[in-house]
Amino acid sequence: MRASTIWRAGVALLLLAAWETVARSAQTLLLPTVSDTMSALARLLMSAAFWSALWISHQALLLGFVSAALIGVPLGLAFGHWPSLGRWVRPHLQIMLVVPTAAVIPLVIMVAGLSLRARGLVVFMFAFPVIAVTAEAGMREANARLLEMARSFGATPAQMMWRVRLPAAWPAVLAGLRLGLARAFSGMVVGELVLMAAGIGGLLMKFQSDFDAASVYAVVAVVVLESVVLMRVVAVAEQRLLGWQDRPAFG
Amino acid sequence: MISIRGCHYRFRGEGDRAAVPVLDDVNIEVADGEFLCVLGPSGCGKTTLLRLLAGLATPTAGDVLIDGTPVTGPGPDRGMVFQDHALLPWADVLTNVAFGLALRNVPRDEREERARRLLDAVGLSGCASYHPRQLSGGMQQRVGLARALAIEPAILLMDEPFGSLDAQTRRALQEDLMRLHLAERKTVVFVTHSVDEAVRLGDRIVLLSPRPARVEAVFDVPLSRPRPPGLDSLPAFVELKRDLWIRLKSQPRATP
Repeated sequence: MRASTIWRAGVALLLLAAWETVARSAQTLLLPTVSDTMSALARLLMSAAFWSALWISHQALLLGFVSAALIGVPLGLAFGHWPSLGRWVRPHLQIMLVVPTAAVIPLVIMVAGLSLRARGLVVFMFAFPVIAVTAEAGMREANARLLEMARSFGATPAQMMWRVRLPAAWPAVLAGLRLGLARAFSGMVVGELVLMAAGIGGLLMKFQSDFDAASVYAVVAVVVLESVVLMRVVAVAEQRLLGWQDRPAFG
Repeated sequence: MISIRGCHYRFRGEGDRAAVPVLDDVNIEVADGEFLCVLGPSGCGKTTLLRLLAGLATPTAGDVLIDGTPVTGPGPDRGMVFQDHALLPWADVLTNVAFGLALRNVPRDEREERARRLLDAVGLSGCASYHPRQLSGGMQQRVGLARALAIEPAILLMDEPFGSLDAQTRRALQEDLMRLHLAERKTVVFVTHSVDEAVRLGDRIVLLSPRPARVEAVFDVPLSRPRPPGLDSLPAFVELKRDLWIRLKSQPRATP
């Protein structure tokens, strides 16, 4: 095991110990002990209701994120490729990036009602801007020297696109997808808390109204754990696909 | 045979920036198989001259002819080696060398075989599966040279290819380039700002003035090929270098 792993585990243990100490001494409903949370987590993982809630949430996540990727990546690449087009659209994308998405939720309800589509739309609105903006930047900043090199070897516009521009934009696209996925998770939970009590969010609200703080924490722990695992998966995939970026040099 | 006749070139001004004249009535002829060095102060328009030959830019006035035919764009008769090597960072060395062939849809087996042969020729036999970032500057430049040679051009256009290398690596690449030139007798137009490099490599040296560049003088290099041993202390070598130095030093400073 590497030293950094040991340190990381040490810090985690220390935080858990602190949590346990504070919770035991505070004796409040709002802060359950670590052990209570753990047993709540175990109960949660055994219950069918939890797994069906998880599935309901992930339908929205999948729907929203996949459509954000399918629309955001090509759109971003197109804006990057035709800068005059990008110049018109970029401010709007950037506005989308900073608008507090929760504030637009009434609009979502008007458009899509209270449905899976509506929750998917919230996830989409969280994930889409960052995916499109990074793809656009990746495409726009294609290395001029590489393009000139390709031209000197007689590359056609289509060859420039497939052999130089798109491979050059690829790292930015992947980074955008990773950020987009993180935002999609927030969108998923926000949609369920603010829009309609369904899935994981619904479960959270139910436990809150039961004053079952341990279960609330357990649900949050599951969401955090899952997003960490998924981000790790994406990072490993990125590493695989973009290994050329940081291989050790010789000479 | 390359003929550059009465070439003018100016960068177009944009908005309130005035147009900048870069080349001013440049006339150069290069014979087949000749190794011509273009020497001039930095920023004088050497690279622009090379881009005209490559067909990446069109002269504002005048003609660029290859075997009597005007250059209208890039072509398979010319291979270019770039100052910053311009290798595709995501592709391995073999793919980079075969790049020009892949653009022309040469079948994979054939282009990889040709690429391997050229890697042998530039001394990188074992490096086919490495990525550019894993290579040293000198090796990257060798890959760039192999890529240009892979399309079997009659003319090699080289834009200060060894400018950023350390002295020792630079010398090794110069010697390999001369060996390759001797074996294949390609026409080479080699842009450099190093007097030493120009005399070491060239059959002839064209000295350009500061911008806008004119041909200030043309020097024949009175040295045999392959270059005789003890080159550095030969009077012909030392004297030509000194003459070129004096000419370069006496040039007015380039307008920034």
